Amino acid sequence: MSHAQHIVDRFLDGYGWNGGHHYPPMDLVSLYVDQVREDDLSAERARRFPSMKVFPTVAEALTQGGSGLAVDGVLLIAEHGDYPKNDKGQTLYPRCELFEQIVAVFRSSGRSVPVFNDKHLSWNWARARRMYDTSREMGFAFMAGSSLPVTWRTPSLDLPFGARLREALCIGYGGVDSYDFHALETLQCMVERRCGGEKGVRWLQAYRGDAFWEAHARGLWSPELFEAALCRSHTLTPSRPGFNHIFPSLDEMKVLAADPVAYHYEHLDGLASTMILLNGLVQDFNFAAWVEGREEPLSTQMYLPMPPGRTTLANFFSPQVNHIERMFLSGRASYPVERTLLTTGLVEAGVESLFQDQALQVTPHLEICYRPPAASTFWRT
Amino acid sequence: MTPDCHSRRIAVIATVYRYQSHAQHFIDRFLVGYPRAGRWHRPPARIVSLYVDQKPAEDQSADRAREFGFAVYPTIAGALRCGGDQLAVDAVIIIAEHGDYPRNEKGQILYPRYEFFMECVEVFEADGRSVPIFNDKHLSYSFSNAREMVDCARRLKFPLLAGSSLPVTWRLPDIELPLACEVESALMIGVGPSDPMDYHALEAMQCMVERRRGGETGVSAVQLIEGEAVWEGGARGRWSEELLEAALSRSDTPRGLTETDGRVQNLLGSGELFRLARNPAAYLVEYSDGLRATLLMIDGAVKDYCFAARLKGVSGPLSTQFFLPPGPNVSYSACLVAQIESMITLGRAPYPADRTLLVSGILESCLTSRLQNHQRLETPHLRVKYQAPAQSQHARN
Repeated sequence: MSHAQHIVDRFLDGYGWNGGHHYPPMDLVSLYVDQVREDDLSAERARRFPSMKVFPTVAEALTQGGSGLAVDGVLLIAEHGDYPKNDKGQTLYPRCELFEQIVAVFRSSGRSVPVFNDKHLSWNWARARRMYDTSREMGFAFMAGSSLPVTWRTPSLDLPFGARLREALCIGYGGVDSYDFHALETLQCMVERRCGGEKGVRWLQAYRGDAFWEAHARGLWSPELFEAALCRSHTLTPSRPGFNHIFPSLDEMKVLAADPVAYHYEHLDGLASTMILLNGLVQDFNFAAWVEGREEPLSTQMYLPMPPGRTTLANFFSPQVNHIERMFLSGRASYPVERTLLTTGLVEAGVESLFQDQALQVTPHLEICYRPPAASTFWRT
Repeated sequence: MTPDCHSRRIAVIATVYRYQSHAQHFIDRFLVGYPRAGRWHRPPARIVSLYVDQKPAEDQSADRAREFGFAVYPTIAGALRCGGDQLAVDAVIIIAEHGDYPRNEKGQILYPRYEFFMECVEVFEADGRSVPIFNDKHLSYSFSNAREMVDCARRLKFPLLAGSSLPVTWRLPDIELPLACEVESALMIGVGPSDPMDYHALEAMQCMVERRRGGETGVSAVQLIEGEAVWEGGARGRWSEELLEAALSRSDTPRGLTETDGRVQNLLGSGELFRLARNPAAYLVEYSDGLRATLLMIDGAVKDYCFAARLKGVSGPLSTQFFLPPGPNVSYSACLVAQIESMITLGRAPYPADRTLLVSGILESCLTSRLQNHQRLETPHLRVKYQAPAQSQHARN
C-alpha cells in the first residue's frame, strides 16, 4: 500500500482503463529501492517480472549496469519509508537527493529523459526550486504531484476555463506535511484555470485549533463555500448517534474536528484560497468556489477510491499512471509542473506558519506564473 | 424545524425503523435534510405520520416521532388519515425492506409490499382521492401482485415511483446510453445475496438497456444458471467475455491477491476470477426485441456493481461503475430521495414504475428457473412496454 507499489504495479500488472485491462506499452526494466524492509514487495515483483532488475544504486538503475543512460523515462517515488522528521514536523523524504542522482546520470550521459516525481518536489523550497530549474535548463519533461487533480470527480465537472473566480476552498483530511499537499493540489488544479492563469501567491497564514474556529466565525473564508464542500463529502461523520447522515451544528463540528487546520492565502491577482483539514469530520477531498456569474458555488468532490475501507484498489493512481505513460511516450507533461512547484512552496509556507505560532508568511518566492492546458486532465472515461 | 404550511404532508409505511434500515436512510433525509447539488437541502415536505409493522428492540420510530413532531399509528389507514376519517396526506412512502419476514421456496423474502400498497389503495378508493406513492425496491416478490399494483396506480391515476438507488446514483465514469442507441449486448456484474442484491443489479442493468432503440418491449425468456455452467456459458458465447472484462475493468474492489498484497489484477485474463467466484450465477435475460443481457453475480471476486454494453457503430464496449458511496452516509440514498421529492412536489414520477415492474418479474422468473433445475423459462407475461425518459436521472450535478 505504498505509493511505489501503487504506481509500479500498474506498469507491471496493468490496470483497468477505458473499459479494458490496459497494459502500458513500455517495460519497467529497472528498480532502485532505498529501504528494503520486512514488508518489502520489490523482491516478489522482481521474481514475477524477471524483465525488471533491481539495482543497488540509482545510477545503475538508470544505466542498467552499463556506462550510460539506458532508459526512456524515470519514476521517482519517495513517499513512505522510514525517514527522519525535522523540528517543524516535515518528513525529510530524499526526493531532491534522488533527483540529483538521476540528473547526474543525465549529465554524464549527455542525454535526458522525462521524469515523474510523485507528490511535492521537496520539503525544502530552495531544493524544490533547484529541481524545477534543473529540469528547465536540461530541457527534459518533468511532471509531478498528487493524484487528486486527475482522479474521478462527483460531480464530473471542471472549472470552466477562463472563469472569473472570487474565492476557492478545499476541505480535506489528513496530516500537515502529508495530506495538506493533496488538498492544495485539489485547489490548485481548479483555480489555475481561472481568467489570466496562475500568477502565484503573495502570502499565506495558517490557522489551527481555536484560531481556526475564530477565523471561521468571522467569515475569513466563505461559509457558503464551507457548506458546499461539506455537502460534496461522502464521509461526513454523523454528529448524533442513530443518524447516518446529518449536517453538524458548529458546536458539533468543534467536537468532531478537534484539531482543524487551515492555510488561507492570497494569490497575486487577489484570489483568496483556503485549504482546510477537518480530521474527524470528513475523509475525502472536496472543492468549492465562487465563480462570477453563478448564483451558487461550483463544487465537487475529488473522489479517491481509497483502500482498505472503501475499496481494495487505490485506482486513483490509474489516471496518474496513464498521464505518466503519455509523458514517457510523447516527451511532454500532461499538466504543468509549476502547479506542483507552487503547492510545494505552499506546504512549506503552511508548515512554517504553524511552526511560527500561525504567523503570516509573505511569499515573494511563490510568484509563479503559468497556464494549464484548456483541456481537462481529470478522469472522465 | 418550523413546519412550512405549504410543505407536502407525507405518510410513511415501513416494515421496520432502526439504524441503517432503508426506512431510516430514506425517511431521516426528510427529517434532517440531505446533500443535494452542493447544498444541505431541506425538502419542502414533512413526515406527518408513520406506520411501522415491526418494532424490534432497536426501533427508532418513537424517538423520531417525538423529536420531529409526527405520530405513529397502529394501522396503515390510520397513518394515511392521520387519525381522522379522511385521507390527510399528500404522498405515501412505502419502505418494506429489512425486518423479520419469512422466505418462500424460491428464496424470496416475503416483504408485505403488495399488502401495504393495497391498504393504501383501499383508503384512496374509500376517500375518493389518491396521492403519489413511492415504493422502495421491487414492487412485490410476485409479478402478478406487482402488475396489480401498477394497474391500480393507472386506474386511480396517481403517480407511482419505485425501485432501487442504483439507477440514480453517481456513475464512474458519468455516462449514459444515448437514447435510441442500438444495444447489441449488455452485461452487469454484481455481488451479494438473493433476493435483495440481485434485484439492485438487475435494475441497474435495466435502467441502461431500456434506452435502446424502440424503447422497452419486455422480456420473452429468462434462465438462471449457476456454478461451472456459468463459465461454460461464457465460453459458448451465451454471455460476452469482452463485456465481462469491460465491467471488471470498472471495479475498484478485486479480491484475492489484491487483498493480500495490493496488486492490480486482470481477473479474467489471469483466471483468478474462476477461483474467487466460487458459486457464480448468471441471470440470462432474453428481451422480446432480441437483445440478450446477462447479470453475473460473482460473490468473492469483487464488491461492486459494474455495467458494460456493446453498441452498434461504437468501437469498444461502453462501461461504468454504479458508485455506491460508503456507509454510514450511503449518500446514494440521497440520490433516490431527490427523485421521491421530485415526484411529490411535481406530481409526476421522474421515470416509469414499469421499469421496476419488469425487473420484479425478471427476478421472480429467474428465481423460478433456479428452483426448476435452471431451466430456460418463456415469460409471455413479461411483455412490459414502456419508454425511458429522454433525460438522464442519475446523479450528475
